[in-house]
Amino acid sequence: MAGSALKRLMAEYKQLTLNPPEGIIAGPVNEENFFEWEALIMGPQDTCFEGGVFPAHLTFPPDYPLSPPKMKFTCEIFHPNIYADGRVCISILHAPGDDPMGYETSAERWSPVQSVEKILLSVVSMLAEPNDESAANVDAAKTWRDDRKGFEEIAKVTVRKSLGL
Amino acid sequence: MEPRSDTVQEDFNYDPDRNYDEVIMAQQRIIEKEIAESQPLISNLLTFDEIVEEYSDEDSVYRHKIEDLKGRYKNMRKTRGDGNCFFRAFGFSFLEKLLQDADGYKSFVDVVHKSKDMLISLGFPQFTLEDFYDTFVDIVKQVECPGTVEKLLETFNDQGLSDYFVVYLRLLVSGHLQANEESYIHFIDGERTVRQFCSQEVEPMGRESDHIHIVALTKALQVPICVEYMDREGLACNAFNFNPSDATDEADPKPTVTLLYRPGHYDILYPL
Repeated sequence: MAGSALKRLMAEYKQLTLNPPEGIIAGPVNEENFFEWEALIMGPQDTCFEGGVFPAHLTFPPDYPLSPPKMKFTCEIFHPNIYADGRVCISILHAPGDDPMGYETSAERWSPVQSVEKILLSVVSMLAEPNDESAANVDAAKTWRDDRKGFEEIAKVTVRKSLGL
Repeated sequence: MEPRSDTVQEDFNYDPDRNYDEVIMAQQRIIEKEIAESQPLISNLLTFDEIVEEYSDEDSVYRHKIEDLKGRYKNMRKTRGDGNCFFRAFGFSFLEKLLQDADGYKSFVDVVHKSKDMLISLGFPQFTLEDFYDTFVDIVKQVECPGTVEKLLETFNDQGLSDYFVVYLRLLVSGHLQANEESYIHFIDGERTVRQFCSQEVEPMGRESDHIHIVALTKALQVPICVEYMDREGLACNAFNFNPSDATDEADPKPTVTLLYRPGHYDILYPL
């Protein structure tokens, strides 16, 4: 069904280009391969990530959208829900039943009517509101919980780095 | 047998750099792949003598119940146990029935045509809906070409087409539940809204179906369904009819689709 996946990814790309959500740019790395995308995510306002521009990579499976894509930040980012190697770990990237982090039952999950846009919007919310209950980066979760000031300092360094400063 | 000293437990040293969750999920994928390779999505027609072999001679309860089924049904088809079996079993069996029912086919096509706008009005984005709707309509149209059981069986065993058909049935159930929220809110557990229930238990592939999914599908498509429950209680299977109409004074309509339920799984039954 790679043909259906391609058709859907092209439709999503078109949609994101026509109506880009605030603070998000995303599209295929090159138009020869619609299964690898890059995205730029602006750090949400009034958070310690404000002002940063964070690049990420999305990899889509051949049976997309039956299965979700994988997402990985390609920059340094210290955050409870992002593994040290950049992989994003939030509920919308997992179908119910795939429960790596014991997400709450009310958490948004992957289904074929979700979309790249929904994922990226969830990632923006995740930057604004880390979920330390289901941590991918335990150090980051601990710092977020016990030393908020320290967490914000590290975030500010990340923001500057993301801008190449 | 002597207990071995080099058990897995002793060998296990937690490695903080290793992602165990992903190892578990990878193992789940392997199990799913094994199931996919050993079971067709929808099997050929089987006799109950073939089914009875699944149970040991000592399993008198199930052997009894299979004898009971034999008195009322001539055949069955098995479906793959992938969490989508209810929807796939229903879909195949219903279209197979429509091959012999031109009027039923016409009214179903009407329901399908209206459904897309209904789903969009509930807030499903058109670009995520369209491919599933188009594939669904293409498959439904195979009924009138004139269609054959063989062709339908081939379509339902094509993983891509079959899964897209299942997705759209799931969306129809989700749409019905959301459009009739007040009738269903009290049947949802875990303090969730109907919308949350749909996005977690109905729309995602592989989520198993419960009573509420069957009720909603029956009403959304106006198709009576009978489920024969085969568990370890009693001596005979218990048939339960799901009816599109709420009127209790009417006799149950003849079910269009009959499914066999064994704990956690649905297969298709063919009445005598």
